[in-house]
Amino acid sequence: MEKVIVTFYPDQKKVELPRGETLLFAARSAGIPVDASCGGEGICGKCRMIVREGHVNMAPTALLSRDEIRKSLVLACISNVDSDCSVEIPQDSRVGEIQALPGEGHSEKITGLEKLEKEISYPFSPLCEKIFLELPPPSLNDSMSDLSRLVRGIREHHDNFSINISLYNISRLPALLRGSEWKVTAAAGNCNGNIEVIDIEEGDCSGRNYGAAVDIGTTTIAVSVVDLARNGIVETRAAYNPQASFGADVISRIIYAGKNGGLEQLQRVVSGAINRLISSICSENGISIHDVTCVVAAGNTTMMHLLLKLDPSYIRREPYIPVAAELPPVHAMEAGIFINPRGLLRCVPGVASYVGGDITSGVIASGLADSDEISFLMDIGTNGEVVLGCKDWLMCCSCSAGPAFEGGGIKCGMRASAGAIQEIKIDNGDISYRVIGDVKPRGICGSGLIDLVAGMMRNGLVNRAGRFTEKAGDRLRSSDEGMEFVVVYAGETASGEDVVFTEIDMENLLRAKGAMYVGARFLFQKAGLSFNDLSKFYIGGGFGNYINLKNAVTIGLLPDIDMDKFQFIGNSSLTGARLCLKSRKAFERAGLTARMMTNFELSVEPGFMNEFTSALFLPHTESDLFPNVLKELGWK
Amino acid sequence: MELVKEKWTGKVHEVIIGATGAEGGTRTAVVRAGGETTMPFYDFEGGMPNRPVLAMEVLDKIPDEPSESLKKVFGDVWGDPGEWARKCVEEFGAEMISVQLLSAHPDEGDTDEKHAVETVRKVLKAVGVPLIIRAPGVAEKDNLIIPAASQAAAGERVLLGSAVQDNYKTIVASALADGHCIITESPIDINIAKQVNILVTDMGFPTDRIVMDPTTGGLGYGLEYTFSIMERARLAALGGDTVLAQPFISYIGQESWRAKETKAENEEWGDIEKRAPLWEAVGAISMLQAGSDILVLRHPHALKIVRQMLDELMGK
Repeated sequence: MEKVIVTFYPDQKKVELPRGETLLFAARSAGIPVDASCGGEGICGKCRMIVREGHVNMAPTALLSRDEIRKSLVLACISNVDSDCSVEIPQDSRVGEIQALPGEGHSEKITGLEKLEKEISYPFSPLCEKIFLELPPPSLNDSMSDLSRLVRGIREHHDNFSINISLYNISRLPALLRGSEWKVTAAAGNCNGNIEVIDIEEGDCSGRNYGAAVDIGTTTIAVSVVDLARNGIVETRAAYNPQASFGADVISRIIYAGKNGGLEQLQRVVSGAINRLISSICSENGISIHDVTCVVAAGNTTMMHLLLKLDPSYIRREPYIPVAAELPPVHAMEAGIFINPRGLLRCVPGVASYVGGDITSGVIASGLADSDEISFLMDIGTNGEVVLGCKDWLMCCSCSAGPAFEGGGIKCGMRASAGAIQEIKIDNGDISYRVIGDVKPRGICGSGLIDLVAGMMRNGLVNRAGRFTEKAGDRLRSSDEGMEFVVVYAGETASGEDVVFTEIDMENLLRAKGAMYVGARFLFQKAGLSFNDLSKFYIGGGFGNYINLKNAVTIGLLPDIDMDKFQFIGNSSLTGARLCLKSRKAFERAGLTARMMTNFELSVEPGFMNEFTSALFLPHTESDLFPNVLKELGWK
Repeated sequence: MELVKEKWTGKVHEVIIGATGAEGGTRTAVVRAGGETTMPFYDFEGGMPNRPVLAMEVLDKIPDEPSESLKKVFGDVWGDPGEWARKCVEEFGAEMISVQLLSAHPDEGDTDEKHAVETVRKVLKAVGVPLIIRAPGVAEKDNLIIPAASQAAAGERVLLGSAVQDNYKTIVASALADGHCIITESPIDINIAKQVNILVTDMGFPTDRIVMDPTTGGLGYGLEYTFSIMERARLAALGGDTVLAQPFISYIGQESWRAKETKAENEEWGDIEKRAPLWEAVGAISMLQAGSDILVLRHPHALKIVRQMLDELMGK
């Protein structure tokens, strides 16, 4: 077969492939993560590339304008390479760059979060401990073997445990113990009531023990590196989940996993992203990867399957059975996560195929399962989840909201990171905004989108079906994809192009907020409760540090209840994973929580579609549900 | 034993269509639709002050694929909407005429607003019953045709159709300016039905001038979906949901004559001359049971059957 060479810029990566393969395949082979939300079906139009030299054959598409085609823009997934090519991949077509979550750990909201984290009183007992041992040297009177001596030393710290140790570590003992004058540090991991000696180091290293809490979202991956010796967060970072280039939602990824080599590929990119996040935090904070002894990961069931390279195909088929919802501890290495070579990986237990460890984790983070009073948790994400209950009972269901609140499927949408407009105010047609970081705006993140729609409602710039009105004036214009509203003019933006909000964006946002609201309402109906019966309404999600709750009510994402009951808890899945990392009790609680949670399938409910269409309105078709919003807006 | 009765708190708005000389129009009579305080024909639970209205349909062009049955009845007046309307009223007793400005559709002739105005004037002159004027349902054409047709019928309090979720502003503005009523149309979806009503009333349009078209399939072609949507909407209205408390209009004639049962010659199915109008009549009666207030029919025999049925149910 004839081979051709494609060179990608600005990466300058070369890749050789059979003539006729797609550009998307070439980019993936070159290890460049490309945004192809539709999974390479030629539908989403995100995988745009510019062919500088050479020739590709592109199938006809309506997703590129004539002007763009003239500028040599192609969609990588439907373009077959015909000759040696030089191809530029624009920044917008890429996924997976790493960004620190700005302000995490510093800003007001996150301080509140840490407070919340401390209020939930799980004793500090990390998943892996480093124990400094000053062992008595052997003598004729104390002639115990090296191993038994080490075990005896550990037992003084941990009673009633059986202790496992690998042959590799045993073989290191004689030299290590004698070379360090019997003063060593044992890294002891907790495996379901057993101790596994992960590592033995010379001297006192007990002050250098770190763990990583990982939230694997469908759209976003977030990692916190935690100082397990001092009980504090080192840093939190997030990146887009590079699996997005194989499909935006869990179903398309499950399908991709079924293709030849698909599962391996998905596993490789997700572990790669986690590794990059962990290593970037560690290297910038002067931490050796070797001192990271454990990882706690929370994610939806599909994400966990893909991380562990478990076949996810039965999750998708009736009766929706996962390989495992509760997993024993494994070595992180087996999942391709590079920390200490024998470091542990624990996954926060999940409930069902569509209710994963991320929600159990959220329940732990909110303290919902420890309260006498009835409270509610809404975790807003691509696979949103809702939980209702108290310490005696818990009900949950998942809502497929799509990635809108994480910036996905929105023309100028982005994650809450530097350059994202996170706050918008509209006053008589004047738009003011706040951008994350000291930079020009690049796009709008979830909290900004909520503010934008609420502001447009207050100013009469949209009608209740979400269509723009003439009142939007000069900011309103038509484009190839329908009407769009200019939020920030080109002169003020980082790219030098207008930041816009289109009617298609609005539809995606309506669907996302509708799905979340319907899930919430459904659980209350099942429980025979009303929103007003709540004592607390926790909101989690990757909004960064900020979400304007009043605006979230105005657009109909959150119910119209007493504002004091709302509490924003940020990325609850990550917070819960962090708690589980720091406390074995919290992890045990997560297991119990998962087992006591009753899961409801929204998709099999006969009234679901009806409720859903009813929620695709601003704020809702049933005006009675949002009396205060209507009053404020002067709507009937 | 006492009969268990439902007590309703809500009431369907009564919509008056047509204006006589005294009211600034030229109609010889007006029709009243809606006003129910009970489910259809449950006269033991509440009132049904207005008899459902039987309208007939007139097109502004010769039908492209005419049915033989309809051709026998109307073939002589096709092409002349005025005469067609007159025949419906004088020979068959239509209580309203629905003027379909179909030829304005880009695929049906793409005629302009002048043609629409002419059609409206002809029909207004030919008959004295109130009119329904319905644009082809293509946004860019509707927005030209409706204002012109509306103005041509100013003061006549016609029923203008149709406002849909993506295109309702022009029609609402025209109806407000010229004193007409409007049809709000939704695609067999109770939520969208409600949403269009909210959008329209948000523009200040009075609720007692709105008639809802929930759209329907013909008998055997999804009629049951519409049936349950209408039933649910009416239950909500009687339960106090004022946004859904609008009378219904059903284009059952148009849907019935699309079905193969009204078109195909098939000996096993019986004589098409009898079968076709019966198909329409059964669909129409089903719509009455679902709560329809205005039926738009095509075949005079169907109208006759439905009228007999109404006589029996409501008394002459």
